[in-house]
Amino acid sequence: MQPNLIKSAGIAWTILYAAFVVWLYATAPRSFTEATTGASVVAGTYAVDEARFRAARELFGREQYAAARDEWARGDPAVRDARTQFYIAYAFYREGWGRVYNDDALFRQGLDAINRAIQLSPAGALSVDDPELKIHSAAELKAELQQGTESSLGDLNPLKIVRERK
Amino acid sequence: MKEARALAPVDLMQNPRDSNRLLVRHLLLPTIFLTVALAGGLRVAAATGAFLFVAPPLVALVLAVLLMLLFARGRLIDLGAWLNSDHAPLTNVSHALTLIALFFASAQAFNSVLPDAGLFRWMFAFFFLWTLWNNQFAAFDARRLLRSLAALFGTAFVLKHMLLASLYAPDGGWLKRLAGALLEGFTQGTLTGTQETFAPATGYISFFTLALYVLGLVLLPSAPETDDRDAPEPETSSLVIQYRRLSPEERTLLREEILRTERGRLEDEIHATRTD
Repeated sequence: MQPNLIKSAGIAWTILYAAFVVWLYATAPRSFTEATTGASVVAGTYAVDEARFRAARELFGREQYAAARDEWARGDPAVRDARTQFYIAYAFYREGWGRVYNDDALFRQGLDAINRAIQLSPAGALSVDDPELKIHSAAELKAELQQGTESSLGDLNPLKIVRERK
Repeated sequence: MKEARALAPVDLMQNPRDSNRLLVRHLLLPTIFLTVALAGGLRVAAATGAFLFVAPPLVALVLAVLLMLLFARGRLIDLGAWLNSDHAPLTNVSHALTLIALFFASAQAFNSVLPDAGLFRWMFAFFFLWTLWNNQFAAFDARRLLRSLAALFGTAFVLKHMLLASLYAPDGGWLKRLAGALLEGFTQGTLTGTQETFAPATGYISFFTLALYVLGLVLLPSAPETDDRDAPEPETSSLVIQYRRLSPEERTLLREEILRTERGRLEDEIHATRTD
């Protein structure tokens, strides 16, 4: 083996390994699973667990919103999928919506999730093509959630009780 | 044909010993030191079993600087031989990376044996500083320095991962009960409740980290011999080095060739020496 080859390989390996150590300390994964998930995100091979996603979608359809959110969170552990975050936000919206008043805490969590979805979508404009949903775009869902958390005179309108959940 | 083979220019890396030395210096040592840098700050939470990565605190970096100075003083590292303008740039870069890795490994080795909070952390830091500062003015050779460091880290390991771990054990180790009885109302809560408890795996990780660190120091050559083709080297010593790298058959052939052409002059020189 050539000395220069060994030295070059040594330098490349040292820099790579040092970068890995710095990355570990920067991301601080709490388990091997988190570490491998993070590594797959860095390597660009990360993908949502489709089986879990579908299972969560079914739970969502049966109005089991909390269970659906848990399942989606497990299917997207690195919180890198815009579509999953959109559905999580939608689950918060559906669960928090009320004919007389909305659950502000759930709506705020929904806002966080929809903001993540918007950040993760490549062009910032996310649209989900699901015929069972009444809101398809992230911007529309965000507006709905924001409106739900704000207090206004419209809240006193008795006709509010005839509005529809989307 | 055989003569031509014997006199052909030899590959400098024909000798496996040289290959191995290069592999140790340029690949194994950085790997060992970076592994120490990785594992030195790794803890495992007792309650959840989750990994916790603790970056080296400032005091660990200060201790590592003092330790590097001590390495240079004790000739464990001959800095002039590691980084030299006579080396090829590639060699200097590789050596610099190894020394940087050694610095962070030292910082993380201290991080591994320093308590994570409370009064004991400052006591340990103070004793480390005191020991390293005193050692700066003591006469050291590389071997003594290594023994002294092994003892220093060993003692700190026993104190932190055995005695203090027992003191802070959630189920109340023997030392906790003893200290509780002796120091009740005296330490103003500094002995209890301020330390996060870690799983026993943390102690094992720290043990192997320190063992790896000491192994790295043992493998670390004080002055790496030059192996650069382009480094200026006296021609005669280069010839001797190349001769030693030949196989026994090749050496015999070379000697025969020299004797065939130089026999007369060699005999004259020997004769002249004897008559003097």
